[in-house]
Amino acid sequence: MKLNYSKQWYEERIALEGDSEVGAGCLPAKLENIEKTNVTFVDTRIALGTFVSLWRRNKGWDAARLAEQAGLDPQEILEIERDPHCEPEADAVYKLSIVFGVPAKPLLELAGLIQPRTAGLREEAVRFAARSESVAALNEHEREAFEAFVAAISESIPLKK
Amino acid sequence: MNTSVGYLKRDDTREMVEASLLDEVSDSHLSMWEASWSPAMQSFCAGRPLADRPQDHHWDWRRKAEGLLPLLGYHSFALLCQNELQGLMLINDLKSARLASQFGKPLAYVEFLATAPWNRPEMHQRPRYRGVGTVMVGAVVELSFELGYSGRVGLHALPAAEHFYRDTCKMTELGKDAAHQNLMYFEMTENQAEAFRQRP
Repeated sequence: MKLNYSKQWYEERIALEGDSEVGAGCLPAKLENIEKTNVTFVDTRIALGTFVSLWRRNKGWDAARLAEQAGLDPQEILEIERDPHCEPEADAVYKLSIVFGVPAKPLLELAGLIQPRTAGLREEAVRFAARSESVAALNEHEREAFEAFVAAISESIPLKK
Repeated sequence: MNTSVGYLKRDDTREMVEASLLDEVSDSHLSMWEASWSPAMQSFCAGRPLADRPQDHHWDWRRKAEGLLPLLGYHSFALLCQNELQGLMLINDLKSARLASQFGKPLAYVEFLATAPWNRPEMHQRPRYRGVGTVMVGAVVELSFELGYSGRVGLHALPAAEHFYRDTCKMTELGKDAAHQNLMYFEMTENQAEAFRQRP
């Protein structure tokens, strides 16, 4: 592919471009839209963040170690764990599901990246998040909640259409 | 890998300067992204709430390039000026048009387009170069013609960039796409592409 525009063409077109922003693609974090239209994802994202945090703590990993294993940026792991208004990128959630050894679809649902299709997942997620405290090591109560949620994700049943 | 000559405008001297558009993002471009672009973005974002950061602040171009470029139908472009990376773009040529007048016909879809942090008026009072968007849109239009797609182009604009695609590039706005983060979807028709190629 070759560009064959004249210098004058660029000069005139660039004058029109002015101070415009030009980004195209997808939003990493659409705070305003989430607040306006996707409030319902906040509670499931809290569960997703809690799950990610508990999973790595259960392994004794820090965020950097999990990021390295998943091929992600540590900052992205921390945003998923701590900021329910942040919409993770789908491939990040997919990579985490591989590291965790659980199906990707329920995690993508929790992240609000695909339409809910799994029966009872939201309820299970909210129950899980409510039972989990963010402390340094998993206590027995947290471990029990964590294992129950892993089972719920792994055995998730698609909703009937 | 082909190199084309384009032009950017230096903001400080108002001079038009030559830039090189390469039609393949290489490992050295990604290394440039890691060495300068990404740290500049991180530095700007440090301490700012998420809502105040650029809408592409955590795009990882290495991950995107390494994940997508081996796939069928992907093209990539890197724009360099004075040995610095000024812009990056990924294109998918397997999508089809949604606009009624060209529905179902293939188009060149811009998966990701971004300009370097130092060229952004929203991040710097005096951006270094202007015109990255113009060069990149020119490139995707030419790619579309080369593919036999008659200049048809599609993209989802980040909210702050809607004005550029609607009013400057004169693309057709098809409304917010609920399946794509509610971002505004734009298409360029064959006639609009021909008009874009002409001097405004």
